[in-house]
Amino acid sequence: MSYVHFPVIAVMTLFMGAFLTVVLGKHSRAVRSFLAIAASGIAFVLIAMLVKPVLIDGEIISYWMGNWNPVNGYAIGIGYEVDQLGMFFALLVVSTILLSAVYSLRYIERDSSQEFYYVLFLMLSGSVLGLVLTGDVFNMFIMIEIMTFTAVGLTAFRNTGFGSVEAAFKYLVIGSIGSSFTLFGIAILYGQCHTLNMAQLSAMLSGNHSPATLMAFALMFTGLAVKSYIVPFHTPAADAYTTAPSSISMVFSGMVNKAGVYGIIRLVYIIFRTMDIPAVQTLMVIFGAVTMFIGVTMALAQHDFKRLLAFHSISQIGYVITAVGLCTSLGLTGGLFHAMNHTLFKGLLFLCAGAVLRATGTTNLDQLGGLSKKMPATTVCFLIGAFSISGLPPFNGFASKWLVYQAAYDKAVTTGNFLYVFVTIVALIVSVMTLASFIKVTQAAFFGQLPERLKDVEEVPFLMQLPMWIMSALCVLSGVFYNFVDKYLLVPAVSAALGVSRYIDSMMGSGYAAEKCVTDIQASGVHFSYWNPMVWLALFVIVLCAACLCILTSKGSRGEILEGDGEDGKYATFFSGEKALPSHVGGSDLFWGFKTDWKGYFNIMEGLHSGVVNDYALYVVAAAAIVVVFTFMFMR
Amino acid sequence: MMLVNYIASVILVVLGLYTIITKKNLIKIVLGMGIVDYGINLFIVSTGYNDGGTAPIYNMTELVSGAYFVDPVPQALTLTSIVIGACVDAMALSLVIKLYRQYKTVDASEIRRLRG
Repeated sequence: MSYVHFPVIAVMTLFMGAFLTVVLGKHSRAVRSFLAIAASGIAFVLIAMLVKPVLIDGEIISYWMGNWNPVNGYAIGIGYEVDQLGMFFALLVVSTILLSAVYSLRYIERDSSQEFYYVLFLMLSGSVLGLVLTGDVFNMFIMIEIMTFTAVGLTAFRNTGFGSVEAAFKYLVIGSIGSSFTLFGIAILYGQCHTLNMAQLSAMLSGNHSPATLMAFALMFTGLAVKSYIVPFHTPAADAYTTAPSSISMVFSGMVNKAGVYGIIRLVYIIFRTMDIPAVQTLMVIFGAVTMFIGVTMALAQHDFKRLLAFHSISQIGYVITAVGLCTSLGLTGGLFHAMNHTLFKGLLFLCAGAVLRATGTTNLDQLGGLSKKMPATTVCFLIGAFSISGLPPFNGFASKWLVYQAAYDKAVTTGNFLYVFVTIVALIVSVMTLASFIKVTQAAFFGQLPERLKDVEEVPFLMQLPMWIMSALCVLSGVFYNFVDKYLLVPAVSAALGVSRYIDSMMGSGYAAEKCVTDIQASGVHFSYWNPMVWLALFVIVLCAACLCILTSKGSRGEILEGDGEDGKYATFFSGEKALPSHVGGSDLFWGFKTDWKGYFNIMEGLHSGVVNDYALYVVAAAAIVVVFTFMFMR
Repeated sequence: MMLVNYIASVILVVLGLYTIITKKNLIKIVLGMGIVDYGINLFIVSTGYNDGGTAPIYNMTELVSGAYFVDPVPQALTLTSIVIGACVDAMALSLVIKLYRQYKTVDASEIRRLRG
């Protein structure tokens, strides 16, 4: 029974690693590298050893710090509770930490003050791991605060660079407003229920909402939404992902915003158990759909590699929130699967961007080009990531996006609500736009002509390639062997999210949930028929072959091949090879036609992303006000 | 009985948010963040107050079921929250110093290299 201690030891190992790094790692690079790898490796092994008891045997680990067990049905200690949902996110977190630590070894070797990088990195890792494993709302708040601090510190790590301090300041202001809302909500909850334990709160609040707890719900929902960077709280995320070191951008998009998503799932499904109220579903689905759309359209307008990826990251979180907000087991499966896939492919893409930055010294798409000849490994990894995020079969993005469409459409059919039809269409359009903008990045950075300036570019070292290859492999494997992922990760996590009474019983003693009349959430459990990605791949290949055959046999229609004339040559393929069309389209403006058509929309959007921190704070407060009003109007 | 405290704390939070939204000076924005924290701290410590209760310091023999004391948990939470608030302010101010060195201004409407 010794494994009940593993979650706490894993969190403590990371924090101890941070402490030891600051004490011992100042002078020796070998020592701090060893400490970082050892701490993240130990955390990974400890969490991996919990896979069998938690995910396969279906046990829920409950752990009271200092053995302060509940007295007379009241939780008095701080509890850690590892259920399948927390375990699912913990696996994502530890994998991200380990891969990012390996990548960092070579990636930051040219920076100064490396020991502080590792201190902040390990503290960030420990706080996110603690957040997904804890069973106490105030402990969750503490972890959120540590996460925000260290994330701000890491954003400003290269503080001589372009705009990184500015991004850090905006992140801190917006992030601390979010934390304050969360804390206010927790304080109201404590005043009402006199407990901070999630399981006991869930037992007390289930179906029993007073105006005070509704206010707490609205505030905590807003606070956690700020941490998951859904629109309109996304503004600091776009800046921070752009200016942070790429290994940290990967951590941000792989686990920091997942922590927010986890918090929202925990909040709506377990703590308040409000997910079966249609108003909450509507709220989350609208937030998700708006996030998807605004994220992807903003990404189309970007000229910077990492800022573009940042907006895609925001957009993909919209998919997760939408799918989770549907409150069907299919939607929850799709949402969690997409959260996992987003960690894999977006982490991979950020690592590729980091490789490009390290090799060329820039992430401006206008100055890049033709890197496929110089950096073949990075190009292959980037293409795998781009195919995954665009949802091409048989990569993992296809599998999860398909589930999201299916779930949204299914919800539309069962409820007859037009909103869900609309959301399905938005999700499809967003996927197409994602593919479009990745065609642009691929063409602008990796294909076409190599600029004169980048003649001496070299491929990144093996230690940086290793995490990229591992993530590429995972992207393909989780797409092809989706049924293993489903059986061992998603089904347990979904049943844990819906099984409120099991969560309460394992923490507070069996029978506690029944005593407080808590019932599990009845998600309309459509048993879904899976797609088969290999069939889609076959169809894809057949269509491709047919298209090639048509092009090759009809000689007359082939246009003249455009000579590579300078910078414009790399876009020749997009003008059908016609020589007569001189293009004045800039390197990253492949979709200028689309942007011109939607000029009004893009002008408004660029005006809204003004860069002034007061405006960003205003969006957060206004959205919080809307959520509060919505909650009081529709949830009572 | 704690109504005045609750109203005061909400007023403090709203004033703090108002400061963050309307003031262009970065130092004032940081002060606004501080005021939000103080409002919330006041709220938390007020939720644990029992009128006429004693300090929550007992040993096991003195602790009987009729003992009437203020709730110690919110006080612990408030202390934690105060520490966190102080850290936020210190970190934000250090970032403001860095920003001033890079941009030669503390006006939020001029610190906008990252936009669009």
